[in-house]
Amino acid sequence: MAGAVSLFANLVVAALMLAGTFFMVVTGIGLIRFPDVYTRMHAAGKAGTLGIALLILAPTVYFVTTDVSVSVRGVLAIVFQFLTTPGATYLLAHASYATSQPTHERTELDELEAFLPTYPSDEFGEE
Amino acid sequence: MVAAVATCCLLALFGAAAMCVYRIARGPRAVDRAVAFDTLSAVIIGMICVLCVLWGSPLYFDAVWILTLVGFIGSAAIAKYLAQGRIF
Repeated sequence: MAGAVSLFANLVVAALMLAGTFFMVVTGIGLIRFPDVYTRMHAAGKAGTLGIALLILAPTVYFVTTDVSVSVRGVLAIVFQFLTTPGATYLLAHASYATSQPTHERTELDELEAFLPTYPSDEFGEE
Repeated sequence: MVAAVATCCLLALFGAAAMCVYRIARGPRAVDRAVAFDTLSAVIIGMICVLCVLWGSPLYFDAVWILTLVGFIGSAAIAKYLAQGRIF
């Protein structure tokens, strides 16, 4: 009975690692292939939340029978990641828009134009 | 079985990290580099998780949750500097 449970847990761990790695690799490909910083940020969001949550869940499940403190820390890590990453992503997006980063040439609509002040753009975004 | 899958995942994560490093080196502007750096830190946290499973030891798992707690501060500081020209 214990062997069957262990096999099932190993299958779950392997599936979690494979899924998380899939999202990480997709994010890497998106970082290379997408044309401007806003679309790249869309790709980076996949690694920052979904990929890392799945990869942290893998040791959380793997050690749940031997060392419960690891599982507690894993859940804590996922909570911290979900609390902090959207803030950093928001700040980066705001910085890109405020420094007038160029959008892809096929961008048709800029709905933020009337709301956010932009500054003249140079390499480091200083005025 | 888990060890083989973990090794394959580790190699694939190395590929993802290499793509992030490519964007950091190539990225035309500072914001592109900041986004790629943010992603690179996420990939490295994932690598530590896979290594925990591969070695069967939770020794390095503390690094994971500490990195998730403080890892965003660098990105936030870079973003504020780029937007305002100063951090504080």
